[in-house]
Amino acid sequence: MASIEIENLTKRYGAMTALDNVSLKIESGEFLVLLGPSGCGKTTLLRCLAGLETPDEGEIYMDGELVFSSKLKRIVPPGKRNLGMVFQSYALWPHMTVRDNVKFGLDVLNLSESDSKDRLDQVLKDLGMSDLQNRYPSELSGGQQQRVALARLLATKPPVFLMDEPLSNLDARLRMDMRVELKKFQASTGSTTVYVTHDQTEAMTMSTRVVVMRDGQIQQVSPPSQLYKRPENTFVADFIGMPRINLIQANQSDGKNRLYSNGDIDIDIGWDEAPSSIVVGARPEDLKISKKELKGSQTYEVSSVLPNGPETIIQLTKGGTILLARIGHEIHVHEGEKVTVQFDQKALNVYDAKSGALLGPPIDTDRTN
Amino acid sequence: MDLAIRRDSPLMRLILDPVNILLMILLGILFYLVLWPFLELVLHTITWGDGDRRLSRDAVPGEYTWFHWLQVTASPLSERMLYAPLVNTLITGVISTVIALIVGGGLAWCVIRSDMPGKGWLQPVLTLPYIVPSFAIALAWETVFRSPKVGGQPGLYETVLGIPPPEWVSYGTFPISITLAMHYFPFAYLLVAGALATIDSQMEEGALLSGASRLMILRRITFPVVAPAFAAAFVLTFGKTIGQFALPFLLGAPTQFHTIATMVYANLALGLDSMAYVLAILLILMSLLAIWASNKFVGNNARRFETISGKGFRSRQVALGGWRWPIFWSVATFGFVVGILPLILLGYQSLMLIDGFFNLSNLTMHFWTGQSDPEIAMGEPGVLHNANILGAAWNTIELAFFSAVIASLIGLIIAYIVVRKDGNPLARMLDQIAFIPFLFPTIAFGAMYLTMFAEARGPIPALYGTFTLLVLISVVNRLPYSVKTGVTAVTQIGRELEEAAEVAGASWGRRFRKIIVPLASSGVVTGMMVSFVGVMRELSLIILLITPSTRVLMTVGFNYAEEGLTQLSNALVLIVAMITIAGELILWWAGKSKLVRLREKNS
Repeated sequence: MASIEIENLTKRYGAMTALDNVSLKIESGEFLVLLGPSGCGKTTLLRCLAGLETPDEGEIYMDGELVFSSKLKRIVPPGKRNLGMVFQSYALWPHMTVRDNVKFGLDVLNLSESDSKDRLDQVLKDLGMSDLQNRYPSELSGGQQQRVALARLLATKPPVFLMDEPLSNLDARLRMDMRVELKKFQASTGSTTVYVTHDQTEAMTMSTRVVVMRDGQIQQVSPPSQLYKRPENTFVADFIGMPRINLIQANQSDGKNRLYSNGDIDIDIGWDEAPSSIVVGARPEDLKISKKELKGSQTYEVSSVLPNGPETIIQLTKGGTILLARIGHEIHVHEGEKVTVQFDQKALNVYDAKSGALLGPPIDTDRTN
Repeated sequence: MDLAIRRDSPLMRLILDPVNILLMILLGILFYLVLWPFLELVLHTITWGDGDRRLSRDAVPGEYTWFHWLQVTASPLSERMLYAPLVNTLITGVISTVIALIVGGGLAWCVIRSDMPGKGWLQPVLTLPYIVPSFAIALAWETVFRSPKVGGQPGLYETVLGIPPPEWVSYGTFPISITLAMHYFPFAYLLVAGALATIDSQMEEGALLSGASRLMILRRITFPVVAPAFAAAFVLTFGKTIGQFALPFLLGAPTQFHTIATMVYANLALGLDSMAYVLAILLILMSLLAIWASNKFVGNNARRFETISGKGFRSRQVALGGWRWPIFWSVATFGFVVGILPLILLGYQSLMLIDGFFNLSNLTMHFWTGQSDPEIAMGEPGVLHNANILGAAWNTIELAFFSAVIASLIGLIIAYIVVRKDGNPLARMLDQIAFIPFLFPTIAFGAMYLTMFAEARGPIPALYGTFTLLVLISVVNRLPYSVKTGVTAVTQIGRELEEAAEVAGASWGRRFRKIIVPLASSGVVTGMMVSFVGVMRELSLIILLITPSTRVLMTVGFNYAEEGLTQLSNALVLIVAMITIAGELILWWAGKSKLVRLREKNS
């Protein structure tokens, strides 16, 4: 329904740069998640889109229309941007009933009485809040409050949804249910959604694309699967994935351009063109554990075993190097045991040791899907 | 470039932002109503006035001169006009403040930290003396200790004992200090109680475990921790006592005992305006000096004394053991003597046909319900029939109502700007200017408005003698309190609540009306009630600005007291006291019911 274009957006608070020359194009109907550690600028970016913050530089277009420009000195106020927002605290007005909370936005639109009433009844029914419409927010559970916030967003049918960590105040089980529901509503309305979270599971499960941010800069924009499999730098690689990725700083072994070593372990990265100093990224599941000697495998000691339902995370030690591996039920190990490890060459990502940027190997189609 | 884009430009948005517009307007208004009057007051004292020709042959109206300052500070008159009253002000101020602090602090400890019985109903009784108008206590004192040496009828003391009380008990330093202390100890009590309530008893338990005795803990732990609150309470109480006018006037003027505040009034009554204003400025300087000193002490040590640690806060009550009931009886007796007895005395006195004869045949309802009788009280009818008083009652209610509502609303708007524009230097300036009236002793503040609005200036008409002026000064005088109430209320309203409405497209006016005002209302309405009661019992502030057509109950009561019509005066003060007590009861009840509701929600 509406695309969003952000061009060279910069926002400073005193000496701190919250957004550093950010450019991003959001397609119509997309579910885009802004992900990153706290203080990375994701909420600032969302608030700039809403018009609640004024950027220092750059342009924002919504549905092709210029809503902010530092050059043309144009700022369209939030209420004129045709968007809806769900706040982290829900921001329900405590002195209004559920119905009045939802009705507020419709009142501002100056709809006819019957139009407004129909829409109000419909959205309350859709969210299963009809029975609770005369209650006050303080009389509702966290999940119900969340629904009111959602109803308030849906009632005015805005083409753009902005959501600032809307699920972070719910307990784990409820959060799962609401994810499904949010995704459903977004799909049925077709509204372009920008969603801020620091929870990577939320980002991975709900989004069509994820934007990873750090220190006010965009690190990577990708569909969730690619984000996991092919992080574009060591920050993203390290930030995405639980347990975290193994990042091994290694140097080329003498004369052999596919073989790298950090002094404790040797890795064959299966790629000829890498520089002499690199960082190898290997997800815990990309380590093949075996109790037998295999070709090209090395022997490690199991220093810790952490069972977690369907999988087990084990810590492996060789010299001063510690690696994490994920294993299923097909193999049982115990602390102190010696095992051999093989790296899944196809799944490895190679980064430049200095810049941390992804080098290769060149994208392999069955690797990125 | 079309108009739409121009309106969207950042500069236009800054200028058209209603909050910024309000900020500039309020800054202008407050500058005019708070800072400018002070400058006017200063200017007035260094300029020859029209009336000065009778004082000096050199007077050239409109020219600058140090004459008034020299007259006050370095002339044969100075001793009587400035130095003796200054000494009196300092002595009565310090004595009364020290007594108020000791009594208030002790009571606060008993109520907050000990297991004394009957706290629930003792607390409101103990705050009674501060709720009733200050000169009610002076009138009650007179009823007992009046000395016929200065004229009038004997008081209760002489009637019972047969001999007149020594003059130092009737008038001067002693009674003024005692009655000021009686009026202000609840103020000190509230301040110290607030600080005591924040003490984590784990601090004391820590000392107890290391083997310290009770007394040692009190001396080495508890007292040092509340010391800043004590210092602040000292300065605030002292600042209030030196601005008090009615009380020292009633108990001092009959024997020519003056404080600076009464001297301001006396000089104005004699037409020596500029002299009065010089004294008013000196009074303001004293108040500023006190506040500055306390800020220097408390400010430097504030960090060291931070008591709230947040986690695991516990407040344990100290068991009084065998002292429990003796302490209860002393506190209860004290509460009765200072809180209830004065009102009973006033009530009884207002029923005496002939003042000073304490027997039953002398009792009459004349001063309440009687018709005009030329034989009694110069023909003044009883207060409930007296057109003069009914008019004053109506004026009082009107004044208190309008002042309270306007002060609360403006206070809320200022608070909103201060909270939401946090960091904006202009907003900070607004906050500071709104606080300044707190530093003005009330009688000096009245003097400022007298110079400011005595004659028409530019578009502003001469407001002296109008009801508007009374509302104006009452509103400005209440602003420091109403802004504080407003800030507390607005701070509790999350920013997101407003942003949600902003995103929905609601204008600032709509957001303020639909979100801010309803959410701040409970705090603001409480503040409004406090202001209502406060304006109602105010006398020093408006005594210089009152004319017969704008009289209020307090000024009428004061005039009756001045004329020696004590029964009428007492009856009036009693009426005001009853209204203010009723107001406080409503507040207390509302606060209590709010607490109950809160507790229900948490359980």
